[in-house]
Amino acid sequence: MKIKIISVIILLLLFVNVFHAQSDHKNFDFNCSLCHECENPTKIDPCLKSCPRHEIITVHHTAQQGPKEIILNKFEGIEDIFEPVNFSHRAHSEMSSMAGGCEMCHHYNPPGSIKKCSDCHETNRMRTDLSKPDLKGAFHRQCIDCHSIWDNDVKCADCHAENATEGAQSATKESYAESYHQPVVEPGRIVYETEEMDGVVTFYHNDHVNVFGLQCNSCHKSESCARCHMENNVLADANRDLEEKHAVCSSCHDVDNDCESCHKEKIVEGFNHARSTGFNLNEYHGSVECEDCHKAGKGFKGLKSECSSCHKDWNSSNFDHSVTGLMLDEIHIENDCADCHTEGVYTSQNCENCHDPDIKYPDSKPGTLKKR
Amino acid sequence: MGSIKRRDFIKTVTAVGCTAAGLSAVTPKKLNATPENILSKDRYGVLVDTTVCIGCRRCEWACKKAHGIEAGSIDDYDDKSVFQEERRPAHDSYTVVNSYDVPNAEPVTVKVQCMHCDQPACVSACIVGAFSKKENGAVIWDESKCIGCRYCLVACPFQVPTFDYHKAIEPEIRKCDFCYERTSKGQLPACVEICPVEALTYGKRSDLLQIAHDRIHRNPDRYIDHILGETEVGGTSWMYLSKTEFSNYNFPKLGNSPAPGVSESIQHGIFAYFVPPIALYALLGGIMYLTKEKSTEEEK
Ligand code: SF4
Ligand code: SF4
Ligand code: SF4
Repeated sequence: MKIKIISVIILLLLFVNVFHAQSDHKNFDFNCSLCHECENPTKIDPCLKSCPRHEIITVHHTAQQGPKEIILNKFEGIEDIFEPVNFSHRAHSEMSSMAGGCEMCHHYNPPGSIKKCSDCHETNRMRTDLSKPDLKGAFHRQCIDCHSIWDNDVKCADCHAENATEGAQSATKESYAESYHQPVVEPGRIVYETEEMDGVVTFYHNDHVNVFGLQCNSCHKSESCARCHMENNVLADANRDLEEKHAVCSSCHDVDNDCESCHKEKIVEGFNHARSTGFNLNEYHGSVECEDCHKAGKGFKGLKSECSSCHKDWNSSNFDHSVTGLMLDEIHIENDCADCHTEGVYTSQNCENCHDPDIKYPDSKPGTLKKR
Repeated sequence: MGSIKRRDFIKTVTAVGCTAAGLSAVTPKKLNATPENILSKDRYGVLVDTTVCIGCRRCEWACKKAHGIEAGSIDDYDDKSVFQEERRPAHDSYTVVNSYDVPNAEPVTVKVQCMHCDQPACVSACIVGAFSKKENGAVIWDESKCIGCRYCLVACPFQVPTFDYHKAIEPEIRKCDFCYERTSKGQLPACVEICPVEALTYGKRSDLLQIAHDRIHRNPDRYIDHILGETEVGGTSWMYLSKTEFSNYNFPKLGNSPAPGVSESIQHGIFAYFVPPIALYALLGGIMYLTKEKSTEEEK
């Protein structure tokens, strides 16, 4: 009997524990396994994985929509050696578009409003939950990563004004509210002369952005300031090894086997789907992602141009014929596709199955033309 | 200064000596039992994450300030040229940060200070009981008891205690005291408080171990699966995480059993020559103590 009571209590406690954790997460639309390793994480043992930064951010906005400047205040429990920092939030968000995006700093934001760093990172270093760094530690870890690459000799006074009582300098830091990162001029065509192979690679940066819809950080994942701002820096393209140079293209292109599609003898024209492949992307295909037709991982090989090679499940009952520009009349709408389009070729029409031979498309139409 | 009376001292020496003489004949191992070594399960520690440390040396500055040592301007600590040579804790700097080159990675900066061992060799080595392990984990020393014999210096497996050699007449042991005074008042150790990146995490040793294991588990690329100080020499209050082997930072390779107090080996040596240890201790210690007492009186 005793054992029974005890096990009921234990079960109840476990339930309360799990339930409590869940109530914290009530707005979550994630699979638990995104963050937790075990099936029943508890407060005591949350069995967390490494933070899946990029998957857990649910609130997005542009750099201009965020605050211009944030004053990072003093923290509890420490001597005031330094003044608060005026943090140029807007300029930094603009820069981050080339280096990991907002998630670089905002690594945890479940649905709802944007969380402040201090919502999770405690301001007092003397605390009970030591599992994540305190606010001061979190800020410095975040800032120093980039600032030390940018300047090997980064000093406290680069960001902080020193408190007057401590002597040294006591300049009040200027406000950065109006500072911004100069808009990055987007390149059009870049021609790479390749040492390892004869010829050149013509890279249309503009097409990759405008036509193929790549975001800055699809390729520029962790660009450091030094990449553009420091001469002779170690991160310049010339110093990247073969693998690094190809890595960025490899998510879409088959860099291991298909050298010729990029490495050409001469500079080549930009990609145009109609001209380069013979298949004109009309208004319906123009907005479709490349991978929706050219399945991911299979490279951009030519596809058959018949509708049915992709649209396998279309039939007369679920296909809206008016998208072709011709709205079928009441009689023809009852037909099967193959009654008019024989042998699966949808660009030709055959009326003879039902009509006299002198009735021909497009002189006679099985409906009315729609203005497109 | 000179707060212990000569009679007390002789008592201590006699007691230690007698115990030594008595026990070493039967069970010399017992000597390791430390006078005030209460290992509270809630004892504190610090987890040093060398993958986070940026080598800013602010901890050095804060430590000096907290201990009334001339610290100079905090800006002077931006000077990275000190990294050209490896430094050790000294009488005027209880903690130092060194930088080590490691294969295929950025140099690693590592703060060193007393590890505050759970079974401190310095405590067992000290023949006058100047060292003690406190309940909160700190290994502190009482300079008024120190007779300058330097046994602790030889015994410490991490080569931590140092002497103020400039005061030859009145030698005094110096080392990190885990900011015993500050922590007793509920404050953080000075170095922990100032560290800008919280490379030093202060908390209950048991919590820190859990956090350390968790960090290793969640970031296997960032850390080697080794917490220095978890088991070394019987465990230490200060523990380290790292991306590469600790031997890269000149940490000695140590076993898991407590380092023997040097007094024990000295004892054995003495027995080999049939010198009754108590006589020798009394003689050596007495001379040192008298010298100390005299010089203290002269200063007054
Ligand atoms: S203050 Fe912290 S980051 Fe700076 S050197 Fe010391 S331990 Fe490293
Ligand atoms: S590191 Fe050395 S000085 Fe510090 S407690 Fe251990 S033995 Fe004593
Ligand atoms: S704990 Fe205190 S004494 Fe030890 S190194 Fe840190 S500041 Fe110095």
